[in-house]
Amino acid sequence: MGVEAVRAELVRTLPDDAIVTHPAQLRTYECDGLTGHPVVPALAVLPATAEQVAAVVRSCHRHGVPFVARGAGTGLSGGAQPHADGVLIVLARMRRILDIDVANQRVVVEPGVTNAEITRAVAAHHLYYAPDPSSQIVCTIGGNVAENAGGVHCLKYGFTTNHVLGLQLVTPTGAIVEVGGPVADTPGYDLRGVLVGSEGTLGIVTRITVRVCRTPQTAKTLVAYFDSPAHAGEAVAAITGEGIIPAGVEMMDNLAIRASEADAQVGLDIDAGAALLVEADGPAAEVDAEFDRVLALCRDAGATHIRVAADATERAQLWKARKAAFAAMGRLSPDYFVQDGVIPRTKLGEVLGRVAALSEETGFRVANVFHAGDGNLHPLVLYDASKGESEAAGKVAVRIVNMCVEAGGSITGEHGVGTDKACSMPKMFSEEDLAVMQRLRHALDPAGLCNPGKVFPTPRLCGERPGPYRPHPLEAAGLAERL
Amino acid sequence: MIAAVAPETLRPTDLAEARDAMVDAGRGRSLVIRGAGTKATWGAPSKPALVVDTTALTGVVAHDPADATATVRAGTPLAELQGHLAEAGQWLAVDPPHPDATVGGTFAANDSGPRRQRYGTLRDLVIGVTLVTSDGAVARSGGNVIKNVAGYDLAKLLCGSLGTLGLVTEVTVRLHPLPQVRRTVTADVDADAATAVVLDLLASPLVISAVDWHANTLAVWLEGRPAGVADQTRALHELLTRHGAAGAEADDGDAVWDAMAAGHAGEDGDTVVRAATLPSDLPAAASAFQRCLTEAGAEGTLTSHVGLGLHTARLTGGDADSQGRFIAAWRSAVAAVGGHVVVRRRLPQLADTATIWGPDPSAVALMRSVKAQLDPDRRCAPGRYVGGI
Repeated sequence: MGVEAVRAELVRTLPDDAIVTHPAQLRTYECDGLTGHPVVPALAVLPATAEQVAAVVRSCHRHGVPFVARGAGTGLSGGAQPHADGVLIVLARMRRILDIDVANQRVVVEPGVTNAEITRAVAAHHLYYAPDPSSQIVCTIGGNVAENAGGVHCLKYGFTTNHVLGLQLVTPTGAIVEVGGPVADTPGYDLRGVLVGSEGTLGIVTRITVRVCRTPQTAKTLVAYFDSPAHAGEAVAAITGEGIIPAGVEMMDNLAIRASEADAQVGLDIDAGAALLVEADGPAAEVDAEFDRVLALCRDAGATHIRVAADATERAQLWKARKAAFAAMGRLSPDYFVQDGVIPRTKLGEVLGRVAALSEETGFRVANVFHAGDGNLHPLVLYDASKGESEAAGKVAVRIVNMCVEAGGSITGEHGVGTDKACSMPKMFSEEDLAVMQRLRHALDPAGLCNPGKVFPTPRLCGERPGPYRPHPLEAAGLAERL
Repeated sequence: MIAAVAPETLRPTDLAEARDAMVDAGRGRSLVIRGAGTKATWGAPSKPALVVDTTALTGVVAHDPADATATVRAGTPLAELQGHLAEAGQWLAVDPPHPDATVGGTFAANDSGPRRQRYGTLRDLVIGVTLVTSDGAVARSGGNVIKNVAGYDLAKLLCGSLGTLGLVTEVTVRLHPLPQVRRTVTADVDADAATAVVLDLLASPLVISAVDWHANTLAVWLEGRPAGVADQTRALHELLTRHGAAGAEADDGDAVWDAMAAGHAGEDGDTVVRAATLPSDLPAAASAFQRCLTEAGAEGTLTSHVGLGLHTARLTGGDADSQGRFIAAWRSAVAAVGGHVVVRRRLPQLADTATIWGPDPSAVALMRSVKAQLDPDRRCAPGRYVGGI
């Protein structure tokens, strides 16, 4: 069997404690943040260097064994779900910060370094790493690269892809190459841009050069309460419509406010229909002027009352409440699905109305907590698995993401496709779109061994029936019948 | 000697014609994609049998000011798009030094200008593309929303690919609000002092939009709300004073930046060479520039986007041999500090891949695989790109 041949090779090249074969230990890795479909890997390895990663990949390639990379396992779409007949490559031991160039604002790290550790390492120089997913305390930069992680501040400051400058990559055939680098405009195709967000299907990054940003001179944060999400949505539209790009615009509906407050206890108004958390940051005078406009626009949109954070401590508390929102749902419901759809910002009110109607129709409570500034919705479908509600609740979650696509949006804004949404890809992309993406995949992974079964729909995952009809671009342009 | 035959030009007017043009009825002819032609000499020369001209693929397909997104056809002149967007108080935040360029050409070359310091390039602003490959596949990636991680990001791959992977017919972009006010502050400083000032600026809480250096003049662009810009201008003057430099507010900011743009773009007959280093290595790049220029017997100027570490040598004199010597020597000096050099505009004699692109990048084998997958018959500008791709 292939995996046994790989194991036999690796015992000669890796230290003993870097190879995990005991079934109980392997079970540790049976899932990432998508917990519904655990798969125990045939073998797990914990390499400490790029050369060891390359040795593992070459061995897998030689024996035709699939392999999957894993960071902290916080991903929500199953991107790090192991392959039952494959090798799981755990990057937790590659956690050194290799270089900090303060003057040029660049940091070089290994993939197992956590997102928050980068900021901690440069904070004394008034620098920080901008992408800030809610899991930033534990999630690794390698995983952030795989998923093109976002966060609450990415509306203004961009996503992982805008902050990663260079990568060392172990290719799916086991070569070690450099892609991009600390210096701008490396000649050649922007493979770095392709790798970021490719969900571990195009290779394994073993070193990452990121840019870090100067901390803003001032940040001001407010919570504006509204009697409904629709009114809060109007405030968002007014803010962005005036050309203001706040550092963050987050919305919570009543259910989400109650859960977060119960968890964080920061004095949120649990009777409000919706809360809008808005932050402005930058040079002091610019922020003062911008913040005054945000206050006025929230009032004009019908804010019932507004709380302005008095100091950094209060700001931190408000953000803590927001970032705790998912975990806090446990207080409201034994189980929940986190959805991750995106809609054009102008469709916020319309889509939230449809989600509420769906909740009414199906009887499942849906809590909404999301990045309103960039239209990234995170509806949480609450259910009780012990009452056999999982499947029906899952269908509600899928219907919500379908609404997002129908509104001109996306099936995922930051959690990724993974296994969770591979079958939804045909809702967004035509067969031809997906075929061209597959050609790109084949260019880097000709043997199809690197995190197989993720991102793209497969008959095994989705059944043999073709995806729902999606017009070809030529048809959409009114130029052709179905090709 | 057989006279060169002028290539046939196809000028599609819609997506279906664009696909037909790319497929070329299966005749297997090589092609180059051409917009306004402002960067036609970028990359090594390719001798195509066919030119696919995008200048009839024009128009803003959609512009939603409230969503701050727009979809535009590739052949649309960038200036025309900016004019359209300005009516809604918005712009596509890219300011390349080629005013006549098309949106598609700017994207295919990943060309940018000084305000890249703040906004990035089209790489960072394009959220969706429609691609037509040379074998007739029509594919979209991305979408219409600014946040989206579904599927591979083909836009990144195509941005800067110089038309070697296929034809981009349409892009969807993220827009920014036009700033309310702008100030340009200049100071007379040499390369060492300019670098010290800029590193200090980057370490400060000031948010600058651009900083260029040319002929011992440093220019800083500030923009935003009136109160914010006034405050930042004061802080900038203080910072310059700390460095022993005197800041002056330019009466005519456009003239300052037009001069910088001319240094980056060059004119017909010039050779334009772009070096990239870490921002702190401007002094190394600038001193090497002077030394290599003198030793090679070439003439030219240096203009730098200091905060980005991008330095443009515009060669206006010397023959192809002396310019070739300059390129080789400057490349080697820049490589010694971890940077690289690529030739853009050039004399026709400066034609070989190694002169234009320098050594093959580490990932050139992967790039060849990507080319082989997306353009299997090597019909799109063969030989134009890195490593002879």
